[in-house]
Amino acid sequence: MTINHRRNLANRCNALKSTGPRSASGKRASSQNSRKHGLNSAPDFESSPKYQALVELIAEEGFSAFACADIAAGLLNYRRVMDAYYDTYTSPEPVDEFLRDANMKTSNPIFSELLSPSGSEPQDVREMASFFADMQRQERRKGGPVSRRSADTHKLIRYQRNGIARLSRAVRQG
Amino acid sequence: MLYTIHLNIDVDVAMPVEDKSKSLLPFLSTPNLLPNESKAEFQSGLQSLLSELDNPSPLAVALVSQLNECLWWIRRHTVDKELLLHEAMARLLSKAGSNWMGSDNSKLSVALEHYLDGSADEDEVALVEQALTEANLTLSDLRARAFKDAARHIKMVDDLIHRQHQTMRHLQRSIDSIDYKSRLIKRMDLELAALESKQSAKGALTLDDKPS
Repeated sequence: MTINHRRNLANRCNALKSTGPRSASGKRASSQNSRKHGLNSAPDFESSPKYQALVELIAEEGFSAFACADIAAGLLNYRRVMDAYYDTYTSPEPVDEFLRDANMKTSNPIFSELLSPSGSEPQDVREMASFFADMQRQERRKGGPVSRRSADTHKLIRYQRNGIARLSRAVRQG
Repeated sequence: MLYTIHLNIDVDVAMPVEDKSKSLLPFLSTPNLLPNESKAEFQSGLQSLLSELDNPSPLAVALVSQLNECLWWIRRHTVDKELLLHEAMARLLSKAGSNWMGSDNSKLSVALEHYLDGSADEDEVALVEQALTEANLTLSDLRARAFKDAARHIKMVDDLIHRQHQTMRHLQRSIDSIDYKSRLIKRMDLELAALESKQSAKGALTLDDKPS
């Protein structure tokens, strides 16, 4: 058993005792932890200068004022989705190699050593080992980087579908 | 204009429309490329799509640019399908052999990747062949098992490719409608001009017929 493995495991055990951020900035930062792409928020295209420029250029093609506004908003919205698509594709959740490759059977003595200062029972050690084994199963199930980025990008399909439908409808009805 | 691509490299790329001041592209975010992708290839794809349109409007150019990006995504996802298989093959090999508990997983993955590309050195070939022997598998057996193992993710990539096809269909319909609209306006202009000339000719005739 390497020291590195021991230290990693100890760090993770200690992290489980954490009760979260205490400072205001820490809480603010962690409040954004679950934010993935921001595509659920309503965008305000109308106030951007790009939108105005697009509307003016599209109007030169003979579309009505309403159609121009719809097409410009549709284009900007579609680009927003595709930018998020690219960001999601290029930054998948990193693989936790330590957890994926760790041998949980040989980690039990470390767990008991780590938990013994608090006078823990063998039951606690078993629970800790089972908890880590569960995390390891989840980590392995997610697969490698390509599997992760495919799964993450797959979640954006509906946004792309809605974005292109909105744009296409605006152009064809214009 | 300047296209900002991945790694913040600014590349001077020729604008695909003749009148740059009327292009919509500067107001839209540009499709990003991955570090190993060729900008020239991306641009040549766009140019070849544009060349199929007869005098495209700025809106049509913007839509064709989105269509080109879809084609690019299809390419990326198709490569991913093969990579998923390689990933699953490496996982199965290390699981079956003695490598699973060690830190050789990534080494074996890289070796397998090179082995399948045909660019592996002697050590990598030896490592992969040893792993295959330990697992008691041939390469085709391994591939078949990997396909089964990675089926869930391959299905996801297939969905992504299908979505890009659907998006392209939407864009194609939009481009057709713009093209049809401009043709319709041109045709109506011509018909109007013909009517006007007919009318003026008729007027001239009636003036001639009047007795002096």
